[in-house]
Amino acid sequence: MELKPLLEYESVRNWLDGLRAHWGGDPANDDPERLPLLQAFCDFAGTDPDTVIGECVRIDKAGDRRISIKGRRKYAALIDEFQTASEESRLRKAKRGNTIRSFLIHNGILLAAGAQLAKKA
Amino acid sequence: MEFKEVIGRRRTIRFFEPDKPVPREKIQVMLEAALLASCAVNAHWLKAVVVERDKLPQDKLDKLKTPVADIALDLAPVHIYFFVDLGVVNRNQGTRLRQLVDVGALPPTHGWSHRFVDEMVYPQILKPLTESPAYVAAAAADAGMAACQALLAGVDEGLGVAMNTPNPEIIQSVFEVPQDWLSLWVLLVGYPAESWEAGGQRPRPPFEEQFFEGKYGVPFKRDPAVVEQLKAAKMIQRAAVPNDPARKAEIKALAERLGLPL
Repeated sequence: MELKPLLEYESVRNWLDGLRAHWGGDPANDDPERLPLLQAFCDFAGTDPDTVIGECVRIDKAGDRRISIKGRRKYAALIDEFQTASEESRLRKAKRGNTIRSFLIHNGILLAAGAQLAKKA
Repeated sequence: MEFKEVIGRRRTIRFFEPDKPVPREKIQVMLEAALLASCAVNAHWLKAVVVERDKLPQDKLDKLKTPVADIALDLAPVHIYFFVDLGVVNRNQGTRLRQLVDVGALPPTHGWSHRFVDEMVYPQILKPLTESPAYVAAAAADAGMAACQALLAGVDEGLGVAMNTPNPEIIQSVFEVPQDWLSLWVLLVGYPAESWEAGGQRPRPPFEEQFFEGKYGVPFKRDPAVVEQLKAAKMIQRAAVPNDPARKAEIKALAERLGLPL
């Protein structure tokens, strides 16, 4: 699937705005792996950033925005797969997954994967 | 540690040292503190199941998680699952109240006797209470006081503590507790991986919005001199502030070490 430049996606801008508001700095550039990892995840999942977030929310009968359990579960599993697909060290794998989790978190989708170092083998 | 400092030092710890074991003695201290809590009609609604995280099968640990109680359950080496034993009043039928009469805690000077317990208190007050919609709230509030004593005792023992909510739908089956035990909270216990100050005391609403004198709407006036005394006693400590660079740096370092997202 051909993606537009990532900064053209609203969800990506929301992510970077959230990172900037919380941590300061220049999140588009201070971690050179951040955007390429999101791009790699979108390639892996065959989707684009706005669709990822769109599938993780639903609008209820009252018109309120809710987290879609089904969508979140789907992407939690995909992120786990994306993370473990790497041959890198455990910490590097964690970074792959956590970068994508950060993308969801700053778009309002609470997504925890547990502490990567505390997980039982 | 002095009592006021224990209150002042307590924080909800969210970063535990995942592999630093907690001595069993310290857990017992916490449970002993819960057992000694003030307790309506001496019923003792609070029950607890202590679990070492690493002895929980991974599938059960995963089932206990909720989206907001995920990382915390992974990090804390000890979990104390608290329950409200809703059946205790009707099982004991006033027995524990009679014990209070016997030891002079409920003396005749205040109108108490075995007969009063047997003929009035249990059948006319306590038993109907257990059938009232208000019963669960009353029992849970009482159990909460006891759980809080365990929590503060943990702080006094130099531990990090955090109340959290496990998945209530499956918790009874995971621990095979009786059907009339209501899941309350899980108290997570371990040594803090974050500094004990954890950024400072959490924001609180203004004192005089919370407490009243004589009637609602008349604030209980806060005396600045008392506030200063409590600062000296370390009960009131440095308040956490937004965008504290030191706290942000601490969280970033913890995220890096523990493999958590930012």
